[in-house]
Amino acid sequence: MADFWRRFRRNIGAVVGLVILVLVGLTAVLAPIVFPFSPWEMRGVPFMPPGEMGFLLGSDSLGRDVAAGIAHGTLVSLLVGGVSTVVALAIGITLGAVAGYAGGRVDDAVMRFTEFFQTIPSFVLAVVLVAIFTPSITSIVIAIAIVSWPPVTRVVRAEFLSLRSREFVQAAEVLGRSRIAIMLTEILPNALSPIIVLSSLMVATAILLESALSFLGLGDPNLMSWGFMIGAGRSVIRLAWWMSVFPGIAIFLTVLALNLVGEGLNDALNPRLARRRGMVVT
Amino acid sequence: MGAERLLRFLAQRLVKAAIVVLAIVVFQFVLIRLAPGDPASVIAGQSGAADAEFMAQLRAQFGLDRPMHEQLWIYVKGILTLDLGFSHRQQLPVATLIWDRLPATLLLTGAAFLFAISAGVALGVAAARRVGRPADSVITVIALTFYATPIFWVGLLLVLIFSVWLEWLPSFGMYTVGADLTGLAYALDVGRHLILPAITLGLFFLAIYARLARASMLEVADQDFVRTAHAKGVPEGRIIRAHVLRNALLPVITFAGIQAGQLVGGSILVETVFAWPGIGRLAFDALLQRDYAVLLGVFFCTAVMVVLFNLITDLLYAVIDPRVEVA
Amino acid sequence: MTDPRLTALGRRSLLAGAAAAPVLMTLDQARAQGVAPRRGGTLTTMLTPEPPVLVLGVNNQGPTLVAASKIYQGLVKFSPTLEPLPELAKSWSVSEDKRTYTFELQPNVKWHDGRPFTAEDVRFSIMEFHMQLAPRARGVFQRITDVRINNDHSISFTLNAPFEPFLLMFDVTACAIAPSHIYKGTDFRNNPANARPIGTGPFQFVEWQRGNFIRMRRFDDYWKPGQPYLDEIIYRIIPDSQSRRLALQTGQVQLSQANDIEPFDIPQFETLPNTQVVKTGWEYFAPLSWIEVNQRLDVLKDVRFRRAMAHAIDRNFIAQRLWFGTAKAATSPIASGTRFHDPNARLPEFNPRAATALLDEMGLRPNAQGVRHSVKLLTLPYGEVWTRLSEYLRQALRQVGIDVTLESTDAGGWVRRLANWEYELTVNFVYQFGDPTLGVARTYISSNIQKIAFTNTSGYSNPEIDRLFDEAQAEPETAKRAEIFKQVQAKLIADMPLIWTIELLFPTVHDRRLRNVIQLGTGVHASFDDVFFAA
Repeated sequence: MADFWRRFRRNIGAVVGLVILVLVGLTAVLAPIVFPFSPWEMRGVPFMPPGEMGFLLGSDSLGRDVAAGIAHGTLVSLLVGGVSTVVALAIGITLGAVAGYAGGRVDDAVMRFTEFFQTIPSFVLAVVLVAIFTPSITSIVIAIAIVSWPPVTRVVRAEFLSLRSREFVQAAEVLGRSRIAIMLTEILPNALSPIIVLSSLMVATAILLESALSFLGLGDPNLMSWGFMIGAGRSVIRLAWWMSVFPGIAIFLTVLALNLVGEGLNDALNPRLARRRGMVVT
Repeated sequence: MGAERLLRFLAQRLVKAAIVVLAIVVFQFVLIRLAPGDPASVIAGQSGAADAEFMAQLRAQFGLDRPMHEQLWIYVKGILTLDLGFSHRQQLPVATLIWDRLPATLLLTGAAFLFAISAGVALGVAAARRVGRPADSVITVIALTFYATPIFWVGLLLVLIFSVWLEWLPSFGMYTVGADLTGLAYALDVGRHLILPAITLGLFFLAIYARLARASMLEVADQDFVRTAHAKGVPEGRIIRAHVLRNALLPVITFAGIQAGQLVGGSILVETVFAWPGIGRLAFDALLQRDYAVLLGVFFCTAVMVVLFNLITDLLYAVIDPRVEVA
Repeated sequence: MTDPRLTALGRRSLLAGAAAAPVLMTLDQARAQGVAPRRGGTLTTMLTPEPPVLVLGVNNQGPTLVAASKIYQGLVKFSPTLEPLPELAKSWSVSEDKRTYTFELQPNVKWHDGRPFTAEDVRFSIMEFHMQLAPRARGVFQRITDVRINNDHSISFTLNAPFEPFLLMFDVTACAIAPSHIYKGTDFRNNPANARPIGTGPFQFVEWQRGNFIRMRRFDDYWKPGQPYLDEIIYRIIPDSQSRRLALQTGQVQLSQANDIEPFDIPQFETLPNTQVVKTGWEYFAPLSWIEVNQRLDVLKDVRFRRAMAHAIDRNFIAQRLWFGTAKAATSPIASGTRFHDPNARLPEFNPRAATALLDEMGLRPNAQGVRHSVKLLTLPYGEVWTRLSEYLRQALRQVGIDVTLESTDAGGWVRRLANWEYELTVNFVYQFGDPTLGVARTYISSNIQKIAFTNTSGYSNPEIDRLFDEAQAEPETAKRAEIFKQVQAKLIADMPLIWTIELLFPTVHDRRLRNVIQLGTGVHASFDDVFFAA
């Protein structure tokens, strides 16, 4: 663990990313205390520039507080990113593990299926899915998960392929342990590093995807999210640049931090792969 | 590689590609039909008045009164003969609508891709050659910045800066309507309109290509044949060009192949921000209007594009890297 | 009876054409302020969203009406007070029994393909074309029992019973005259000619680059000598609202209409020196917006709950802060531009206390979170300002303890759910088409409770209201109809089947050099044969 932390710390970017991420997390936690009102509440004059009339980051077209929106939106963005990544991991790991462990025809079938999904432009598919199941937090999370699992499958399958012929796995097989137990207790823990690295990047991508969906008007209308704020501010950007600029910065910082941390994790967990940064993108 | 083997390889891949495309078409067809609401209801909504006869007329006109499997069969039969169907909403064959819009999207994605890959590889190579030095860090940070920025937000900021504040470039459209320009003047006009959207779409991919190019440059530079060349005293520039770059391009190209679809997805956002008359926007409008035939047509078209692009990258791969077997 | 709307179709209907013509002329001259019409110039304007086809009847969506009204014409057109004015009919008369309408048609009118326009085109358009295609026209034209072509330029229609608002159906937006020689005996919706519309209007269709622009050129054989003045009209398709705003501001386009410009951008155009904002020109349509309440649901069917909602909502706030003055607070279920609007009608005033009192009376007590009742509101997917409205309504209703969850959907989903009654609350806006019988009754009469959008989808039913609307429809005398509709308004406001919010004004913004743009009650749906650029 100390070794892990030492290697992680060596990457300055990763440390910066971690600091930002902690701040983002704090914002999410503190939002209800600092802004103890609904971000939808109309609290003053519309289109107030930052700093005026008590609006730290200005007010929007209905006189709502942009700063409160960003603060309350943090939790939404992190939740969407986190939950959709967990769902995608669940799909991806299951398929990848089965394909990698079983090999042969099963492997072939799973990989065809995965390729098939990768041929459909993921953003287009996400848009169609959300539009069809009507925009809500659930449909957004599911749509993002459905378009983000294929890379997980590929990575997990590759790990399983290489690990399944290792001695410790064969030993477990000889001992007659069930396949599922072997996959879960023997192979998966050893395949975790790339999955962890990948998931930090997936959270980042999911946040970007959610913002793009909200920007197109396909967000959950009951949740204040950063993408929604940019979408709402887009048409008035000449009148009130702060409405879209600040939420954009929030997205940028969070996604950047997640990427930096992902690289740090990569350095720390896979020293031999440290240089191949950026290879694991959707 | 023998010509016969190449042909066989091509034939195999084409058949496989056709199957994938067909599977996508069927999948999307079923998916779209799951959506609540149909084109008839949209038209009724926008006409502000309807009665049962009107709805029945529209549904019959759109062929929506037939059973779903029959509709699917009709559609697949059409696709097999390259007939994309008819948009009853727009009263035009889908192929015509797509052909009208496709050049704009190809121009946009093509320009964005060229910009992204040339600038990305150049930055990646520059960073790799100065690895660990400030220039490397700066390039890495730039790449990371664009990678972490929402594409539509970049578009908005560029419009804000270059169209609103500086008034250098037009903020929307593909050319000045009513100017009736021809020849070079027309090309220049389109070029001016193309700059912002192409850069917007390209920046995200530039970031990816730069990071990839840098990583694979470093990887290749470590390999034996490069060390041998160094030992033989081959000049640095020549090594980079002849050995390193050539091999470092492989992952970039592979990745570009996989990403072809994302380029099309991104163009929905960019076409929305810049009012670019391409198929991304056509698809999005068609989705909201429940214009099934057009939506499926665009999906078909993008699937074909992605599959073809993958095929081309596979071939390129074979050309660039003689070690790779086409199998 | 001083309201000119009330006299329009009634007393002056005998040869009203001849009588009304000079009114328009003076209006023209007054507007032009001595500037003589000038030939030439291209008007570049916008169209949002892009229409599917430009053949009226085959498609009657908003953008189609705006653009195709330059290509096609109706028999009559309507002044801002909804008086009929001559268009393809140079005059008309109504028989003593108010059942037969005779139209004398303009001679020398040519279709864009050179064929002459005759009474047969009129007969075909009404009895076949629109009768088959357009639900609204069908509803009225089914009353026609007899058609007589008197000669090539005279035609009579006889109704089964007097129908006072009959003439209102002859505007180009309701019944554009279509060429019989092209459509007769064909499948109208799939006629290949739909790609190149042929009309009698001042502008003929030239080209349409999808996703880009529609171009129309001056029709040289137009029946008004010397007109139109403009050489060309180009409708640009600009999907992004801020691009539209910029195009108008920089003069790349010289005219915007309907939803082209977002409400919050309108105040800016009011201050610009080169543009002019006109907030009239939608009197014929009189779009009225409301919260539609599904009265099949338990709490929602209680009139006290609906009145509480009405008290909780500040209609002036919506008009001023959300619509930036491009809407006005509704005062009655019959919009103020529509005939028979009662200027003395009053809706429940904005008063959250009155709202909570009503909710208390119903026994809806607030829980620990202050919530008395929870409802779902289906947002109207017609653009940003409607989303903002839903967000405002959620906040306003929450103030009185009504917890609102928004449901979002797209155009296809919204119409479908509205039509299937699968909603609790939703926002809707509907055109009133000049007369309550044409555009208001459909929302409230119980015989129109159907699983179709824009019928009585809320499920409201009151035999008294049904009877009054029936009487008003059968009543030939304008003044008596006014009396009936006064009662209708009072009763509807008492029942509050819907929460009426605002009347939309749809401001038109145009270049100051552009003259004669808004002169009719249909505004930008005029033929534009007299629009010109002043030097």
